[in-house]
Amino acid sequence: MEEPALVFRGLTRGFSGRLAVHGLDLEVPAGVVFGLLGPNGAGKTTTVRMMLGLLPPTAGTVRVFGLDPVRDGERVRAMTGILPDAVGLYDRLTALQNLDLAGRIAGMEGGRRRRAVEAGLRRVELWDRRDDRVSGFSKGMRQKLGIARALLAEPRLLVLDEPTSGLDPVNIVLLRDLLLSLAQEGGRTIFMCTHHLDEAQRMCGLVGIIQAGRLAAVGAPSDLGAGARPAVRIRCTRLDAGVAAALPLPPGAAIVPQPDGEWRVLLERAEDVEEVVAALVAAGAGVRAVVPEQRSLEDVYLSVVGASPHA
Amino acid sequence: MRDLGTMVWKEWAEFVGNRRFVRVFAIAVLIMGLLPNLERHNVARGNPNAAAVLTLLSLGYAVFAAAILVAQTAPDLVLRERSGRTLEYLLATRLPDWAIFGGKITLAAAVGYVSSLVTVAVQLLATNLIGHTGPWTWTYMAVPQGRLLALLLTPVIAAYMATVGTFVALRVGDQRTAYLVTMLSLGLVALPFLLRIVHLHFNMPWLWKAVGVMALVTAAVVTAGFRLFRREMLVLYLQE
Repeated sequence: MEEPALVFRGLTRGFSGRLAVHGLDLEVPAGVVFGLLGPNGAGKTTTVRMMLGLLPPTAGTVRVFGLDPVRDGERVRAMTGILPDAVGLYDRLTALQNLDLAGRIAGMEGGRRRRAVEAGLRRVELWDRRDDRVSGFSKGMRQKLGIARALLAEPRLLVLDEPTSGLDPVNIVLLRDLLLSLAQEGGRTIFMCTHHLDEAQRMCGLVGIIQAGRLAAVGAPSDLGAGARPAVRIRCTRLDAGVAAALPLPPGAAIVPQPDGEWRVLLERAEDVEEVVAALVAAGAGVRAVVPEQRSLEDVYLSVVGASPHA
Repeated sequence: MRDLGTMVWKEWAEFVGNRRFVRVFAIAVLIMGLLPNLERHNVARGNPNAAAVLTLLSLGYAVFAAAILVAQTAPDLVLRERSGRTLEYLLATRLPDWAIFGGKITLAAAVGYVSSLVTVAVQLLATNLIGHTGPWTWTYMAVPQGRLLALLLTPVIAAYMATVGTFVALRVGDQRTAYLVTMLSLGLVALPFLLRIVHLHFNMPWLWKAVGVMALVTAAVVTAGFRLFRREMLVLYLQE
């Protein structure tokens, strides 16, 4: 069995008596796109810093491809490409110089470095702007250059903080396809911090939700909502609140009107839906459609971080 | 050494793009280069030791040019990473701590040394081209004491201040305060003379000894810098 890319065991880090990360237990398999979701200040950045050996944990351990970042920080960072939240490009350098610097830092030799820099700039469609200073670049261009820099040395692990921030919809789709192909074909592990739940749902094979330094939920986006109570959306005619309240529903079921005119039915068991439909028909309602409700990642996220999901 | 070269290349590439600093550099070396010549008449008037005073003044300006430019550059190389939000990226690279620190102090010290050499050159040009006739005058560079102080003491002082300035910038987030604190560190070196614990002499044996002692102090400070500098310090700086 392949060694996991990342293993966190009871990972804890405190600052001045406050715990930024508290007992994080998590395994990320190699070749997976993992999304770490959480509000600002939840502990995402501190987790990444411990993962890269930039901060030692107060307690617990972290392993990156079996390496301890505290002792082997340089080796861990050598196999990692990073796109920080602020991108972190050198404004006084040109696009070409920024990537050339990344190549030098990665220890790439002259010819190989030049080819990689050119390929990187072409991949993000910035080859024509290679001699322009980065200070004149738009946010989207900076983001694309930052991604090209993170990928330059073909790292085993990619750490991306809000990778689609500032990108237009076309570039978001291009980036998504690029990252998915990197994970699938290249076998790279991608660790992504994001606030965009839709992006995480589309791109990540595994997500973790962190809240107040604790990992509150982890799993495949589709699985995270699976444990929730089943629900269906019913579109029907000749049904009002009085009739709905008098319906003989199965035990534990509840019917709630929705603003769009549909009815949301919460069930104890998925198969109870047949009994609900029979009750509606018996009450004279015209049932037009019954759609099982998928609990989205957004619902799970909002319930975990304490905000109220839609009724 | 390759990592150090990469860091120096990076600092240099950024440095040459800093037009504001190029202006500060030009103004500083011009002022320090021209002032001794402009003050020549005031100093010489009725002063039997005019030549010696003028020599010391000129040399002092050359050392001072190095000091102010290092005190400006060393903290700026750290603070700019923070304000430009490039620190997170730099720290997440595989570059070892010593290369990050070494790259910054090498460039800052080089800026100081080059500025003192350019100041000396401006002083020589000013002395020989403004109101001067006859053969070329080398001023204090004609004597071994002057050459020793201008060519060997200035890089030692520049390296000392570059190290101090880098550490100051780890604790002081403001450029002006960091500059002043770094300049004050030069006062520490002058303290034994000001307190008259050590007396100043201008004979060669004493000057060699003084430069040697300063070089040892600088070597100790730089070595301590390499041993103490950890990227964790900068991460905590980001965390603040």
